[in-house]
Amino acid sequence: MKTLPKILIIAAAVGVFGYGVGEFFSMNPPLMAGAMAGLTLLYGILLTKQHRPPKEQGFFKNIATKIPVVTVIAVILWFGAGYFGFPVWWQIEFVSFSVIGMIFFIILDLKTMKPEKSAGDSLLRLTVTYALPSALFITITAQLPQFDPEYELAKLNRPPVKLSGLAGPEVIAAGREIFESNKCFNCHKVFWEGNSDRGPNLGTKQIGLYSEDYIKEQILDPRKKQSPGFEDKKSKKAMPTYYGEDLSEDELSALVSYLKTMRDPTHIPVEGKFPDQWTWWDDKQVLEEGKIVFEGKEPATEGLNCAVCHGADGIPMMTGAFDFRNPDNMDTTKMADHRPIKLKDWPDDLYYRRVTRGVDATPMAPWGMLFPHLYLWKAEAYARTFHDPLDKRTEKKPVPPIPTKEEIERWKTEGLFLDPLL
Amino acid sequence: MPPSNVSEQKSFSFKLILLALLVYGLAHLSPALPWASPSSFLNGLGPQTALAQEDEEDEEDEEDEEDEEDGEGEADEAEGEEGEESAEGEAAAEEEDTSYLTDIGPAKEIINEGYIFPGLGNRKATWGAAQLHILFASFILGCPMFVVIMEVMGARRTQGVRKAVILANVFMGVLTGVIIGIIGEIIVDIHHGVLYGLWACAFAALIVSFLNYFHICMNTKVSSIVGAVVGTFFAYILVPIDHTTVPAIILALLNGAVGGFLSTAIMFAQADYKFERLAHEITKVIGFCYSFTALTGGLFLFIMMVAYKDFISYLVTAYPILFMIGYPTLFILETIVLYIYVYSWEPLNKTNKKGRHIVLGVVLNILGLSLLCALDGPATFMQTPPKPYDALFTTMTEWDRIATMTWMPLNYHRLVGNGTFGGFMVGVISAYMYLWSKDPKEKEYYDWVGYMGNFIGVLFMIPLPAMGYIFVREIYQYDATIGMYIMSDRESMFMLVQGLLIGTMFTASNIYMWVSMKRIENAHRFFPAMKLGFILIVIAATIWFTPRRFFATMLPEPGMNPDMVLPDNLAFLALMVSKNTAAFALVTVTLINYIFYTISTRTGKIAWGKINPLGPYILIFMGFTDIWLMSWMGTIRELSRMNWHIYKVFKDVTPEKFAPSLAESGVFVTGVVWTFFIVMTLIIWLGIKYPKTKKDKTEEAPAAAPQMAE
Repeated sequence: MKTLPKILIIAAAVGVFGYGVGEFFSMNPPLMAGAMAGLTLLYGILLTKQHRPPKEQGFFKNIATKIPVVTVIAVILWFGAGYFGFPVWWQIEFVSFSVIGMIFFIILDLKTMKPEKSAGDSLLRLTVTYALPSALFITITAQLPQFDPEYELAKLNRPPVKLSGLAGPEVIAAGREIFESNKCFNCHKVFWEGNSDRGPNLGTKQIGLYSEDYIKEQILDPRKKQSPGFEDKKSKKAMPTYYGEDLSEDELSALVSYLKTMRDPTHIPVEGKFPDQWTWWDDKQVLEEGKIVFEGKEPATEGLNCAVCHGADGIPMMTGAFDFRNPDNMDTTKMADHRPIKLKDWPDDLYYRRVTRGVDATPMAPWGMLFPHLYLWKAEAYARTFHDPLDKRTEKKPVPPIPTKEEIERWKTEGLFLDPLL
Repeated sequence: MPPSNVSEQKSFSFKLILLALLVYGLAHLSPALPWASPSSFLNGLGPQTALAQEDEEDEEDEEDEEDEEDGEGEADEAEGEEGEESAEGEAAAEEEDTSYLTDIGPAKEIINEGYIFPGLGNRKATWGAAQLHILFASFILGCPMFVVIMEVMGARRTQGVRKAVILANVFMGVLTGVIIGIIGEIIVDIHHGVLYGLWACAFAALIVSFLNYFHICMNTKVSSIVGAVVGTFFAYILVPIDHTTVPAIILALLNGAVGGFLSTAIMFAQADYKFERLAHEITKVIGFCYSFTALTGGLFLFIMMVAYKDFISYLVTAYPILFMIGYPTLFILETIVLYIYVYSWEPLNKTNKKGRHIVLGVVLNILGLSLLCALDGPATFMQTPPKPYDALFTTMTEWDRIATMTWMPLNYHRLVGNGTFGGFMVGVISAYMYLWSKDPKEKEYYDWVGYMGNFIGVLFMIPLPAMGYIFVREIYQYDATIGMYIMSDRESMFMLVQGLLIGTMFTASNIYMWVSMKRIENAHRFFPAMKLGFILIVIAATIWFTPRRFFATMLPEPGMNPDMVLPDNLAFLALMVSKNTAAFALVTVTLINYIFYTISTRTGKIAWGKINPLGPYILIFMGFTDIWLMSWMGTIRELSRMNWHIYKVFKDVTPEKFAPSLAESGVFVTGVVWTFFIVMTLIIWLGIKYPKTKKDKTEEAPAAAPQMAE
């Protein structure tokens, strides 16, 4: 243990280096430093340990000594992975690798092989040497998940997208196919569906709220404006810039038609890169834009002025107009779908429903039939600040869970969208 | 021959060459001289009529114009002046039937029916032939790299050898600089990292070797410093960049130091005859493999000409200069140099001209690499043809079609990959010879050969993931759809197999070191620490293998389970950050174990020939796995073009345009690798074992005569 101080100094130096590496590659510097320093320390201790010649064991004795250890590791891995939320297939994978590790260590501790006695011995061993990896690789490739080549063939044999002669739902379906074939799902999720969170989830962001021109611009010139939360260097370069060359006019139109369907009538849009996300309720810029809409100053919603009735400062200008300053105000009773909920507890969909469908027999018109919903959500986000100002909030509104396939089906069957196509 | 005669003869030859150069220079560099026009000079060598026809279109004042062109020319002139004459001219032109000039005869009526290769189908026939061709080609490119290193290490440092070592060191400097430079470019994001590495290392090697030749700068520490300074100076001058950054300077210093250090270490290395013998034996196998490369190349081309005739003719005609001049020239030159290299080994040794033989070896490698780079042009053109596609054959030149976005990355990747291939194939050869030898001395020797093969194989394998990374990065930048098809769609499970294979390779390599260290005295002091490394290897391999989802496509297709996806909060395990960390851990642990192994070989007595009999089988296992992996990656690269022969330019419209399943590909690749190994086993036996058996029967003699004293 005389060398321990030396080892500690080296481990500390490696730790500092690890911290630098973590910092440089944005890979959790403290964890990196700790892991590297810890490993160096372990290596140091093991190197200075009193060493004995290795114990070699026969095959069966080898297995007998290792199985209990591996069983314990496998059990820990199984339950540990389950605890952290790994699906069962990953639990099986981890346990399988513990068994592979056992085989690895069995080989290391195996008794020295006896030399070949005859050419027959050599031939047999040689054949086994070739047969072993062959069987291993064939088994692995046969047992891993497979795809059906016929499915790809059927896709390849489909005619190219031509919009002429297609009706609305067919155009949307064609657009989805283009979205899929251009591998957009690789970086963009659409609600529950998709591969990763490299780019915004176009479903929860509700890209369908935006204008066709804006969506087209985002496809053709993605570097022009980054989605909030995706301003980092890597994200800025992530979206390819060649879709203008690759997609025909018809394909682009179909793609935009599909993207326009991406809206959620039950939740306000979500921004940011997973896991650092936020809703529009807490988005300062959205609230500023919402104020403009609310006060009737937004050119895109000319004719819409919430402040006329609800007041620019939240004090209602008209009798019966909903007072957004009082958090305990209840939902209107004039509607058949009335919900006895206080304003402070209103779910997103109630805001959306009241604004887009209006309130019967009042000047609150179904604004959703008249103006782009993008602006209506912004105005709603701003209206909330009258009883719940942004600067007084101690925490952000929780990001809602991603809608499931069943929920999206329900929106359609319950007619939550105003658009008959959806 | 008396010395004076020799010098007279040399002087005469020199004058003759000078005269020839002068004539050549006058003919090509003096356009003012009427008789020296290059075109008239060339016309005498080629089909004159055809050239004359083309010239007439450009030069109006040519006298011997063809009738047809006369008619057209006159009609054009008359059009502006007299209508009648114009009409007559047009009628004359219409009446004249010139189709005989283009009519190819009855063949135009015959439509060849497509032929399907029996049993396999056209795609698999092409796939198999191409794969075998690439494997043999890799052998004849990878093994000469190994052979030259070994030959240099085995040659006694005579005056001539030291001259040749200067060239060999510069070649080594270029390769090493490129490899370290790329790693700097990828990991630290140094702009032009490759160029900094290349220039710094190459110039450091050149200057230090030159100084070493005159017995200056013989200490490796001093050489490293001199190399670092000189290399950085040249890199600074030669890299075309406005602002040099600190990381770039550090990279240049590092490369210069490596170049300087290696140059001196190589220049003054203690020659060992074992290296010479090893190099000579491997060269005999290269000769056989060269024939198989040509054979499988021909097979591949013939199959393509029947199965994909339109495509192959399109591809070949896209590279007229390459396929009519460049490739044949390089191929012929390489053949000549290779056979001179093989057959001049002993004669040059006997006449004490080892240095010239080493130079031949370097030239052979340069030619091989040029051939590799030349053919990577069409290969990468198929994957990433330059954009815009409508300018491919208008404004773009043949060079543009060669130097595609992925051309250099594939060159780097194949260069390093071939180095690994060479190392592991030598491992396989050593294992066979170890098993086939009965003489303890032979066993000792082949045990050592296995050690060297594994050393070179692992050495090249360490930077290989970085080369693969830069290749895929360029693919993503060219068209992310291809990258996603590989990483997240139909080839995602193929990539998972790749992860597993790499894990297996590193594991096997470490087991080999472990087994080898058991025959080294006192080496077991490292075993507890090595076991920690083995645990890390298993963990790293697990992370590398962990997929984002357990279905084989980007989105679940009918019949797949959509729930087999990692939840978002755990998805980081499947991202590149985790994979890179795992790869880094694998490489680092292997490097640490190698350091332990090297320390053991230097501080303990090695019982050569007493390796655990498991050792040779591990070497064969590694060779098989490496070549299986190489074939697998080739499959991935080819399939990533999806249903295109040339991505987005030439569509595959055959019934086999889809990606074959993972299981089918696994079986087929195994079949190809078995075929390769069966042929290689025969070649090793014929090239090394059989001559030895014959010789043993007659008399005992070394495989190559030792180099004579100067």
